[in-house]
Amino acid sequence: MRILDSLFDRTVSGLTKAMDLSWRKNEALVSNVANAETPQYRAVNLDFGSELDRAFGDRTRDELVQTDTQHLDLSNQGNSKLVPDYRGATKSDGNNVDIDLQMSTLAQNSGDYANAAQLIRRQIGLVRSAIRDGR
Amino acid sequence: MTSSKLLPSAYSSTAISAAGLSANRQRLNIAASNLANAESVGYRRRDIFLTAKEIPSVEGSFSAALDRKTLMAPNVAAVIEDSGPQRLQYQPNHPMANAAGYVEMPNVNVVETMTDMMSASRLYEANAEAFKISQDMSSEGRKILSA
Repeated sequence: MRILDSLFDRTVSGLTKAMDLSWRKNEALVSNVANAETPQYRAVNLDFGSELDRAFGDRTRDELVQTDTQHLDLSNQGNSKLVPDYRGATKSDGNNVDIDLQMSTLAQNSGDYANAAQLIRRQIGLVRSAIRDGR
Repeated sequence: MTSSKLLPSAYSSTAISAAGLSANRQRLNIAASNLANAESVGYRRRDIFLTAKEIPSVEGSFSAALDRKTLMAPNVAAVIEDSGPQRLQYQPNHPMANAAGYVEMPNVNVVETMTDMMSASRLYEANAEAFKISQDMSSEGRKILSA
């Protein structure tokens, strides 16, 4: 990442983080879809907005700092925060997956992922253009 | 940026969708079998029970293991034959009729089984679509390499 960070500004690393979070969100949504008929299963989602704030370096929050590389990277734990998704109604078997809602969120999320990827490609294109002296 | 990966592996998403496909295919098979045998003397209705199973960690690191902990894949816990009393039908001429002239029919509710089949087939499609979305996403990520 260090080479990328020196070549590109924070945009690319932020976009990379956004892609990473989108990917995790996809995993959560896919798991909801797969468990749409599993009794007692509770839908999950990824708290995307606040995670992205963190990714773009909102240092106003309390954050754990890694003082030694041998320590567990606790600051990174926030990336994986799965939160309950209460949007669907709970059925008699204790399951609260709303399949249509999950499918539409899934499609939307993959669009976000593709957009971030496209923006990264543009950034790389800019650097390439500079390397080639604008040609 | 320590653990951020530009090109994530498509493994866990597709593995979860595959489990969803498999579970719904089995639901469909059981429902089809119950429906086909709704009037078969001696057949016993089979019920399928699903549970959510934690998916095994696919990456080595501790934080990756923490990530995966709460992701669940559906799993067929059991397929159990209905053990209750069968539906008795008076058919004295039936070769399998008992001494009193009754044959044992399975406890299959045709309407309920049909809706079960529809739900299973719809969810099968949903999982197939989710599988495709995950694949499209990883191919979108790979495109960065050819930028």
